[in-house]
Amino acid sequence: MATRDSLIQVKDLKKHYNRGAIKALDGVTVDINRGDVMVVIGPSGSGKSTFLRSLNLLEEPTGGSIVFDGVDITSRKYKKVEDSTGRTVTVKVNIDEHRRKMGMVFQHFNLFPHMTILDNMTLAPVKVKGVSKAEAEKKALSLLDRVGLKDRAGAYPIQLSGGQKQRVAIVRALAMEPEVMLFDEPTSALDPEMVGEVLDVMKGLAQEGMTMVVVTHEMGFAREVGSRVLFMADGLLLEEGSPEDIFERPQHPRLKDFLSKVL
Amino acid sequence: MGNFIQLENFSKIAPYADMFKEGLIVTVLLSLFTVVIGFVLALILAIMRMSNFRPFLWLAHAFPGIFGFFERDSAGMKRDSGFLYHLGRFNPLSFLATAYVEILRSTPVIVQVAIIFYGVFSIVELPKITILGFIKFDRFVPGIVALGMNSGAYLCEIIRAGIQSIDGGQSEAARSLGLRQAQTLRYIILPQALKNILPAIANEFVVIIKESAITYTIGVQDIMSSVNAVRGATFIIMEPLLVATGLYFCLCFPTSKLIAYIERRMSRGDKR
Repeated sequence: MATRDSLIQVKDLKKHYNRGAIKALDGVTVDINRGDVMVVIGPSGSGKSTFLRSLNLLEEPTGGSIVFDGVDITSRKYKKVEDSTGRTVTVKVNIDEHRRKMGMVFQHFNLFPHMTILDNMTLAPVKVKGVSKAEAEKKALSLLDRVGLKDRAGAYPIQLSGGQKQRVAIVRALAMEPEVMLFDEPTSALDPEMVGEVLDVMKGLAQEGMTMVVVTHEMGFAREVGSRVLFMADGLLLEEGSPEDIFERPQHPRLKDFLSKVL
Repeated sequence: MGNFIQLENFSKIAPYADMFKEGLIVTVLLSLFTVVIGFVLALILAIMRMSNFRPFLWLAHAFPGIFGFFERDSAGMKRDSGFLYHLGRFNPLSFLATAYVEILRSTPVIVQVAIIFYGVFSIVELPKITILGFIKFDRFVPGIVALGMNSGAYLCEIIRAGIQSIDGGQSEAARSLGLRQAQTLRYIILPQALKNILPAIANEFVVIIKESAITYTIGVQDIMSSVNAVRGATFIIMEPLLVATGLYFCLCFPTSKLIAYIERRMSRGDKR
C-alpha cells in the first residue's frame, strides 16, 4: 500500500488517556507522501495537535503504528526491516535519530530564551549532527537572511516580535535539514498583523517542495497552499481530500457545519 | 554587675586574634566544601527524583493481571491493576531520593552531625593529621560530610523546583531538534533553571555558612569554637560573641550580594 514516494504511513493511530475514558485519537490512518503539504483542520479538541505531536512521538500513541522512512518508530525494540536492496536487516529504533529528520514548529515558538538567535540555531546542528561551529553559523546566517532576520542574529528571543520569533523557530528547525516539517498552529499565538509574514515563509517552503504537515486555523492558507486537507473531529479523521474537495464540495455534515462557522 | 559590654574587654581578648583568624579560615573552608558536596549531591538526588526508571515494568507486562484483576477500560482494552501493576510503576531511584530528602529535612542538623561523627566515622578511621597547623582532619571531614549531606537534601528540592518551573515546551523543542534527554538537561533546562533558583541557592549558601557553627560540637575549630576557647581562657563571653557576630556577618552579607550580582548578569536574556 505504501507508494514509492510515501514518507510517513500512519496506521490506526490511537491515543487514549485515563484508560480509554478520553480518546484524543481514535484510529487515524493516513499516508503522507514526499512533497505533500498536508493541512489538518478541525474544531478545537478534535485531536489535530495530538496527531501532529504523535508523528515525532512527543505524545506516545497508545495504539497503532507510524512508519517513517520505512521504520516503525512506535516500536522501541529491535525491528526487522527491509533495506534498499531488499535484504532483511535488524535495526534498533532510535527516536532521537528520527526526530532530527522531523522539524517541528510550535504555537508558542519555544525559542531558548537564554541563548542568542544564532546560538538557538546552531545548538542542535553542532551537538546532534556534529557540524563544526563555523559551518553551523554560516548556514544559520544564510537561513536567517532568507527570512530577513540576519541583522538580529545576536539578539535574544525576548527582543523579537512574535512574528520574528516564529520565523526564527522555523529556520531553527530547517537548520537540521529535516525531511518533513511539522507545524503546530504556528500562527495562533500571533498578533493578526504578524500572521502574514509567517505564512509567507511557510508558503516559500511549500513551493520549494518541503514535505509539510500543518495544523492551522488559517483556512486561506489551507486552501491556497495545501496539497491535501484532512478534517478531524473527536479524534477521528472524518474527511480527506484536495482543498477544492474539502472547501467546495464538503461531504460530511460535521465538516459542513465546521466550514459554515469558520468561513 | 559590670557593664553589659566593656571596651577594655576587647583589649583583653586581643591576644587571641590569631585564634579567630584560624576559626574564620576553618569556617570558610567548611562552607566551601559543604557547598560543593551539597550541590553535587543535590543534582544527583534531583535527577533521581525526576527519573523515569521503572525496573519492574517488564514484570507487569510479562505476567499481566497475575496478582490483580483484569480491567477493561471503556474502549474494551485490557488493562491490569493490582500488585504487579503498581510494582511496575515503582521507581526505586525516586523512592530512595525522596526518602533521603524527607529524613534529612525532618531531623535536626546537630543530631545528623553527631551521628556522622560518632557513628559513621567511628567505623571509618581517619588519619589524625592537622592541615595548615590548625585544621584537625579527623574532625573537619565528618563536619563537611554531615553538613554536605544536610544541605544536599535542601538544595535537591530547590533544584527540582527550578527544573520543574521551566516550561515543558522548552524540553519539547529541544527533543524535537534531536537532542538527547541528557543534552536537553545540560544545554536547555539546567541553565534556565539555575538562573531561576539563584536567589534560593544564595539563601542556602548563607544558611550553610551559619549552620557550619554547629560543627563546634564535634570539635571542629571554627569561629564558634574560638569563642568558646577565649571564654574558657579569659571568662569573658559577650565580647568574643560580638567578634563572632561581626565575622559571620562579613561572610554572609557579601556572599548574598555577590550572588545578586551574578543573578543580574545572568538575566541578560530577559531584558529588552
